[in-house]
Amino acid sequence: MTSTSPPAVDVRGLSVRYGGFHALRDLSVNLPAGRIIGVIGPNGAGKTTLLNAISGFTHVTDGEILLDGRAIQGWDIRRRVRAGLVRGFQTVRLMERESVLTNVLVGAERLDQPNALAQLFALPAQWRGRRIQERAAHEVIELLGLGADRDRRVDELPFASRRLVEVARVLISYPPVILLDEPAAGLDQEGRRELAAVLARVHERHPSTLVVVEHDVDLVKNLCSHVVALESGAVVCAGTPDRVFGDPRVQLAYFGRSADAPA
Amino acid sequence: MGADTSAGGLTQVLWGGLTVGCLYAVLLLGVLIVFQVSKSINFAYGQVGMVAALGGWYLASAAGLPIWSALIIGAAAAVLVNSAIDFVAIRRIPEGRPGLDLVVTLGLFLLLTAVMQQLVDANSHTFASLGSDTSTVVGGVVVSVNDVFVIALTLVLVTVAHLLLTRTSLGTSLRASAEDATIASAAGVNVLRLRTGVWAVAGLLAAVVGYLVASRLSVDAFYMTPILVKVFIAGMIGGLDRFLAPLLVAVLLGVYEAGAAFLLGASAGTPAVFLLIIVALAVMPRRFMNERSEVRA
Amino acid sequence: MSTRSRTGAPSVALGATADPRLKRSRLPRLLLVVVIAALPPLFFDDYWLFLVAQVAAFAVATLGLDILYGRTGQMSLAHASFMGVGAYTGHLLAGLNQGVAVQLLGVLVVSVLAGLVVALPTLRLSGMRLALVTLAFGELLAWVLINTTDLTGGTQGTSVDPVVIGPLDSSVPMQAYLMALVPASIATLIVLHLGRTQMGRRMLIVRDSETAARSVGVAVARTKVISFLVSAVFAGVAGWLYAAVAGFISPPDFNLFASVYLLVAVIVGGAGSAVGAWLGAAYIVLMPQAFSLVGQPNLYPLVGGALLAVVALLVPDGIVGLSRRLAGRFRRAEDRPNHPDRPNHPDRPDRSTSGGDR
Repeated sequence: MTSTSPPAVDVRGLSVRYGGFHALRDLSVNLPAGRIIGVIGPNGAGKTTLLNAISGFTHVTDGEILLDGRAIQGWDIRRRVRAGLVRGFQTVRLMERESVLTNVLVGAERLDQPNALAQLFALPAQWRGRRIQERAAHEVIELLGLGADRDRRVDELPFASRRLVEVARVLISYPPVILLDEPAAGLDQEGRRELAAVLARVHERHPSTLVVVEHDVDLVKNLCSHVVALESGAVVCAGTPDRVFGDPRVQLAYFGRSADAPA
Repeated sequence: MGADTSAGGLTQVLWGGLTVGCLYAVLLLGVLIVFQVSKSINFAYGQVGMVAALGGWYLASAAGLPIWSALIIGAAAAVLVNSAIDFVAIRRIPEGRPGLDLVVTLGLFLLLTAVMQQLVDANSHTFASLGSDTSTVVGGVVVSVNDVFVIALTLVLVTVAHLLLTRTSLGTSLRASAEDATIASAAGVNVLRLRTGVWAVAGLLAAVVGYLVASRLSVDAFYMTPILVKVFIAGMIGGLDRFLAPLLVAVLLGVYEAGAAFLLGASAGTPAVFLLIIVALAVMPRRFMNERSEVRA
Repeated sequence: MSTRSRTGAPSVALGATADPRLKRSRLPRLLLVVVIAALPPLFFDDYWLFLVAQVAAFAVATLGLDILYGRTGQMSLAHASFMGVGAYTGHLLAGLNQGVAVQLLGVLVVSVLAGLVVALPTLRLSGMRLALVTLAFGELLAWVLINTTDLTGGTQGTSVDPVVIGPLDSSVPMQAYLMALVPASIATLIVLHLGRTQMGRRMLIVRDSETAARSVGVAVARTKVISFLVSAVFAGVAGWLYAAVAGFISPPDFNLFASVYLLVAVIVGGAGSAVGAWLGAAYIVLMPQAFSLVGQPNLYPLVGGALLAVVALLVPDGIVGLSRRLAGRFRRAEDRPNHPDRPNHPDRPDRSTSGGDR
């Protein structure tokens, strides 16, 4: 399951414009391979837009996105997923009336899936695929500490667990590039710590290029080995956490404001 | 709608289509204002008009009430029924379950149909003519009092609604609550009262259209359904969140239907409309189609 | 917040937890189904057996609609029309002296075509627009039927020759029941199995969040089309079966009201559940009879309409969901001592905490 070495994502001269509004302007940034990368910045800095652009949820006005050297900005979402680039959402989007297991399994789209007829009529290919998927689902569910809730409906779960279910849905195929949009949003202090621990553990076992958009400075400092600070759709500073958080522009633009606990 | 093939026949048919299209437009006006305040579709809306007309017929013919009082009672019933639909059903639809309004009002559609069949009967009846039997010939076209009334009523209603929406504080409140009910109520708009009023007015519009359609055809428990379906089609093509465009589409739809029936035979009107909608949906640009705003990630 | 520790140690009994549970529950369930299936021929007279055969035919249709509406979340007001497509295709082929195999093949092919005709233009639509286009299809079919009297019998309807396979003749109630049971069982197995496949999960996530579906790489449009096709084929076979069992078909069997009743069946029975689809099929066939028995046939549509509105509003998962919820409450009451540390969801989110989208 573990891929040999995760690819880097290289963004070059990226612009995203909605009507007259520049969400990103001529943004270039390297997301180094195999690292946990924090993307920080005040509201409206373009963090989510950058994630949307890389994952294919936003139309790119100009510029290039390179995955392992290949330009992917023209690809549809599905093709990016197949190439190993999977994202999560800031808002938890689950199948509320289904079990944790079902919610996680649906993320197995990248794993070997037989065609529709084989699935409908239970051909051998379907049985093989099913075993692989279920093993992967059980493993990731245990890894995230959701084992006790595996067969419960997700709408019965507390929010922190639901958040983890969404992360598990992304992780089931251990994609080499993972983009998470504020995975700690809505969690309390303990929940954040747990989430950071889970992500660190997953990253240790299954190396990936893990990009986390996050408000929480402590979480970013603890978790990430590379930080990108955005403001007004452009990169202010990028590098090690110490360097970025020490940068006077970051201090001015973002760090000072983050002292009061974010939502 | 006879299949007279002369040029005068064509004018006559188009005139008929125009008046039917106006009836579509008035009913669509009710659909549009309801959509503004509650962002929902009421599939039972046509049956609200049916309740008024079939009930009114029963009161006048079987119970022997004078026609005008029967019509007033019928209209009051329509207002009540429409308000009740909002009160007991639409307001209780939980957040985040799109499409439920359609399912619930489909149930109410069945319910109203069955109740009226039970109370009155399942047969077709001749409604009060409301001037459709008094006519004169203008330029080779037979024009009935009913026709003139329909067109005048449409012009007046659309103009009044337009002025209300654009020139008055009522219209501002309405548009504000259509935009965002929470913000509107924070700004001092009594969103609930506004909503109740709009549903009541929509019930009245359904009754008026119900009477006029019944006076031209006949009245039974089903006669409003094809009308409502065509009104929805016009709303869908024109856009439910707009105003003049869908109303214009409604009028044109009536003309198109009549024209198709004239050219291809009396039974071709309905399939022509349904083909139109399938074609319209297939070729219409995507930005006109989005019911919900663009997905936010 | 949960106090359970999230140690990474994977449970020892990874595979073992799932399989015995399935093995334990499957056999008694299968036996129960066999017993229920054996009841009608043992205890019912011909008339009721004939109705139960109709239930089996309708179950194929409701199972199909359940795939489309219950699982994929796509509204269809043309499902009775798809049944009509199957019924009339079979009838026309029988009129050309074609055997059962050719009839079935024809029904399958024509149903797929009809499904495609509706599915392709509706890909970009949802909710009310989708409902209207399917309704338009239904009206077109009704128009075709009424205007081809020499082929289809028009508004007067037409009698349908019984289907004969070997010693079985669908005009004999007992044999009709056995014949209807075969496709109904196959349809049920397919639906039950679908719940365990990625295809089934794709449908569920398309229903619940197309955005999430796209984010995990699900081909949303393809999933919708497959769902439409499968449900159209189910409905076509159901219509063919219904025609063979009933021996007579006419346009009102397949009109808008019939489509709405199918929707009533799926929603009241319990959307997204095979058992619910069967309950729904039993409801639409047996309920009118029950109301006739008590001398109130007109109450059926009245109750149907009220049920649809009330169940859709108050009981989102229908009868099946209701019973499951009751059973769940019972089971959780038993469970509670084992999980003293399970939080009582004090931190269920409201929408505003998880929101803040940009």
